[in-house]
Amino acid sequence: MKGADILLRALREKGVDTVFGYPGGAIMPVYDALLGSGIRHVLVRHEQAAAFAADGYARVSSRPGVCMATYGPGATNLITGIANAYLDSVPMIAITGQVATPLMGTDAFQEVDIFGMTLPVVKHSYIARHVEDLPRIVNEAWQIATTGRPGPVLIDLPKNIAAGEAAVQTPSSWHGAPASSLDHTALGQAAALMATAQRPILYAGGGIGIGRALKTFRQFVLATGVPVVSTLKGLGSVPTDHPLFLGMMGMHGTRAANLAVQASDLLIVIGARFDDRATGKLDGFAPNARVIHLDIDPAEIGKLRRADVGISGELAAALESLQMTTAISAWRRHCLGLKARNAWRYDAPGNGIYVPELLRRLSSEADGELTLTCDVGQHQMWVAQHCLIRSPERHLTSGGLGAMGYGLPAAMGACLADPSRRAVAVTGDGSIMINIQELATVKRYGLPVKILLIDNQALGMVRQWQELFFERRFSEVDLSDNPDFVQVARSFGIEGLCVESRDQVGEAIDALLHHPGALLVHCRIDPAENVWPLVPPGHTNATMLEGTTP
Amino acid sequence: MKRTIELRLARVEGAVVRTLGLIERRGFSVTAITMRGDAAPESLVLRLEVTSEGRPFDVLLRQILRLIDVRAALLVEAQHGDARAAC
Repeated sequence: MKGADILLRALREKGVDTVFGYPGGAIMPVYDALLGSGIRHVLVRHEQAAAFAADGYARVSSRPGVCMATYGPGATNLITGIANAYLDSVPMIAITGQVATPLMGTDAFQEVDIFGMTLPVVKHSYIARHVEDLPRIVNEAWQIATTGRPGPVLIDLPKNIAAGEAAVQTPSSWHGAPASSLDHTALGQAAALMATAQRPILYAGGGIGIGRALKTFRQFVLATGVPVVSTLKGLGSVPTDHPLFLGMMGMHGTRAANLAVQASDLLIVIGARFDDRATGKLDGFAPNARVIHLDIDPAEIGKLRRADVGISGELAAALESLQMTTAISAWRRHCLGLKARNAWRYDAPGNGIYVPELLRRLSSEADGELTLTCDVGQHQMWVAQHCLIRSPERHLTSGGLGAMGYGLPAAMGACLADPSRRAVAVTGDGSIMINIQELATVKRYGLPVKILLIDNQALGMVRQWQELFFERRFSEVDLSDNPDFVQVARSFGIEGLCVESRDQVGEAIDALLHHPGALLVHCRIDPAENVWPLVPPGHTNATMLEGTTP
Repeated sequence: MKRTIELRLARVEGAVVRTLGLIERRGFSVTAITMRGDAAPESLVLRLEVTSEGRPFDVLLRQILRLIDVRAALLVEAQHGDARAAC
């Protein structure tokens, strides 16, 4: 059996039925073996989209997404997507073609050291040097990608190994990370801190969803009655309309969330890593709070903020051990008062489309059942602030890397992982152009992806920062020469609709929710619109700038 | 602050460069290295002098231990000349 067949058989044995990729020279033996393999290959139009689509697929299915590309530029084009998966702890297998082993290290045509290039952004990686190693490598890669803190694993496959033959297989030498048992002394210390805290806050991160601790976390919230804030990736840990949810914290967080965290005396941090976008100026973050930090990854404990109690292990088990009732009714009332006094207002003046209201209505009318994928920029923050999100895998966003171009291919992956879902990619006029070629993929596979393109004719978030922090010296943010996006969509065979006034919002929402196939809604807004509140760089989360709708 | 770290790695492609790269990317400097084979088969032992301007070594050790090829990581107590298991 050839190496390529062995590789695909090993993937099939793991349950892989979909692979995202783009063919080329060194990976051709694998593409030959794909014919009749039983694995569906989704031909994207840029390798970066293959990795992003695999990422979206993984986040929805909770199984590794698989992407592949050839050597050289095919491999390097995967790197952004691999880095995205690494920073957001998404399980992924990335397979790259490579020159034949005798040519490696000779600067052969299209030879790049993709193994070396990706070392900082993979959980692990392999160069397959022997055909008979392939089943072992696939098996190990799968275990590594999925166990503990998930992440991407790269398999670099030289052409002669893919085309070579082997009858025997080497056994696996890696038997997985040892299961860590919870530290019961630390659990006792955490319980003691919780029992005496007067102003506790639950700080919910992306690890809750990734670690399949959602149900236990919600029981924990119910049992303790502690108010909840979340990171960007923690949105949906409790439904965002939950009475105890104060909102996202951090740079574009809600006033209630940020003020409650700053005033707290105990932060119970669950599956989060004290990202600077969440904490603001770290040495002024929650200055009077003690910290209980729970994470599957022991390396996150104490990395940025000292934990009074650090507990490394499965989140669900730790949360079950810590369930208790609390006597914090005055604090809870205070937090809910903050939330009520600082509730979003949607009565913006004028007749232009007010994006926060559009997003609120869209997600509410779908009762939180949309799968929202985001690109990066102002629209990403508006989604986080205003959409009804009922669970983390309904909100796919590039949190750690902040990669423009993520939204559309991630929506493709989400659709393919679960065709019953309605996926809406919320994007901007800057972001859509990063991977707009994927409209061809959407059309080819008949994916019912909806695209809500928020067009402010600018790189809006950069423009907002130049306005606020660079004395309105606007540099290279003008996109007023954008193409006609509806015509672009139609040229790919996708229906389009343009809206620009408030009385068209109902029509846009109706189309996004009920149009049977793919659809692009081009939503033109005021270029001066900004995202509020905003914690200025270098400030604590107590400093929140508030603006007005232009 | 300078500390000595002793690591035992699987003797596989990329293990050494992956580990050294992580140490530097996490804000530490490697100022000396010795490497030898280990009594355990298919293992390498690295002894590194590492400096940091205030970043915690215990966190670095946990980050190193996340690497699949790393079998063990120790902080060596230089003032006593003896090696103690830190992780």
